[in-house]
Amino acid sequence: MPTTTLDIFRYQPDTTEQPYRQSFELEHAGDITLLDAILDLQNEQDGTLAVRYSCRSAICGSCACKANGKTVLACMTQVEEVKREFGTETVSVDPIGNFRPLKDLIVDLDPFWEKFKAVKPYLIPDDPPPERERIVSKEAMQKIYNESKCILCAACYSECNSLAADPEFIGPAALAWGYRFAGDERDTQRKERAKLYSGDHGVWDCTRCMYCNERCPKGVDPRDAIEKLGGVAFQEGVTRDKGARHAKAFLISMRTGGKLNETLLVPYTDPIGAQLDMPFALQMLRKGKAPSPIPHRIKKLNEVKSLMRNVKETI
Amino acid sequence: MPRQFAYYPGCVAEFSSKELNATTLALAPMIDIELLPMPAATCCGAGDIAEAKPNLYLTLNVRILSQAEEMGVDVLTICNVCTLNLRRANKMVKEDPRLLEKVNEELVKAGARPYEGTKEVTHLLWYLATEEGLSLLEAKGPRGLNGLRVAPYYGCQLLRPSSVMGFEDPDQPQSLERLIRALGGEVADYEAKSKCCGFPIILARQEVALRESHVALSQSRDAGAECMVTPCPLCHLAMDAYQRKAEAQNGTEYNMPVLHLPQLIGLALGLETSIMDFKRHMVPVDRVLETVGA
Repeated sequence: MPTTTLDIFRYQPDTTEQPYRQSFELEHAGDITLLDAILDLQNEQDGTLAVRYSCRSAICGSCACKANGKTVLACMTQVEEVKREFGTETVSVDPIGNFRPLKDLIVDLDPFWEKFKAVKPYLIPDDPPPERERIVSKEAMQKIYNESKCILCAACYSECNSLAADPEFIGPAALAWGYRFAGDERDTQRKERAKLYSGDHGVWDCTRCMYCNERCPKGVDPRDAIEKLGGVAFQEGVTRDKGARHAKAFLISMRTGGKLNETLLVPYTDPIGAQLDMPFALQMLRKGKAPSPIPHRIKKLNEVKSLMRNVKETI
Repeated sequence: MPRQFAYYPGCVAEFSSKELNATTLALAPMIDIELLPMPAATCCGAGDIAEAKPNLYLTLNVRILSQAEEMGVDVLTICNVCTLNLRRANKMVKEDPRLLEKVNEELVKAGARPYEGTKEVTHLLWYLATEEGLSLLEAKGPRGLNGLRVAPYYGCQLLRPSSVMGFEDPDQPQSLERLIRALGGEVADYEAKSKCCGFPIILARQEVALRESHVALSQSRDAGAECMVTPCPLCHLAMDAYQRKAEAQNGTEYNMPVLHLPQLIGLALGLETSIMDFKRHMVPVDRVLETVGA
């Protein structure tokens, strides 16, 4: 029987003010999930150890936590695999990040649910319910298949770099649900959704750190959903946000020269901010970091222009 | 025979961070590679075109891959973002022949060459951080970094998503560390080396972005680094060009010189410092040159 040391984040606000760490030795059969290991400790060594869980089958999304710093679903993670991956005999266990711990591995998910509700995660059709179900083609469902796999475990929030820097960022899971409905052909609120998701702390606040895609245990790829919501915003003409203007500047650069025109990018994205920030612009200029305003022209630009005219978006 | 690559420097290295392009071109013969220009290649879209028009993003990137295929060589990049965008498009069409067919129809209609899906995209770091690459560097008998304490800074998009990138474990990357050691430097380790620099939103959401760059800048400073090195010119802009702004916003000083990866290698191999054009950096690199003896 292998023995594993589990070094666990403890926080028991009823008895101890500050969080602390506690190490447990656990003898276990070779194959044991992290969740079963934690539950064994709870049953055999310390009944006060608090963890949230339900299905044990990677469906309910309750038991996300960090194993050696990496966010996982405890029920679908083998203890021995974590040790192998990190080359350690000890497995550290922590609550998911970017949330306030309530007790041991349990965090306050209220902000997560508030953000989830804020994206209106339900179908909004404009006609009365039909007598039978609304039939949707396989192709139409395929477009939102990834997003529909989300189990709301919050693993994507745990290491989201935008959320760490801005707690109000609506976040990857909520936006994935946003696209799940904005991309649903039965929904009639595409434009309204594009507006709802485009403001401050929305689609254009994603810093593209890619942690959400890396961590999602169900293959939702939330960053890809956020990207698709950008596409929806463009299709619906909801492009006033600075983030959308930033993307527009790339399209203009592409059409006029084929390469990014950095001299256009700054004032086009943020015309007022750019004027207020002249000292910085001058510093950049002195260091040669403000390139020639005459855009570079690639060879065969006509091919690019033709693609820009003809390629249809199917988002 | 030097290994030939289709050289895709990306827009930032060609324009606002010219020092990166110049250093890479000067370094190439020293590390036995030949960089072939791609005069008809566009911008990769940097994630922005993907965000506005996903099908256009895919088609433009496959067009670039097809140009490399026509040249008969793989693509070499020096930017995290270009690497991700090109590799992602490559993976999408290689895994889905019907999608490749559709993209090729568009390319042909526009008068461009269709893509057969035979080329790979690699980053200079990946090329050099293999056993082969490292022994090549050692064989060049580097002047060495003289124990320079370097903070490796990976940024995001050369590591994640690992399903597209896949060179190394995104949670325990070691390629920069191996390279720093092979060149005679010391590694200043810190947790935030693979967190985001904030650059993608630095124009649209500057305050948030500068809170992001603060994490790696302050941690690398506290780890005693004499400089930071990055494989990405966008990370470089966030960490170097915006460093004073981050200091002002976050009420602290970092004073952290930031080197482009080829500059660090160039210093170790004795490349002329004037070619590496350090004067284009916002944060002076004097203390780095002093330690290395360049």
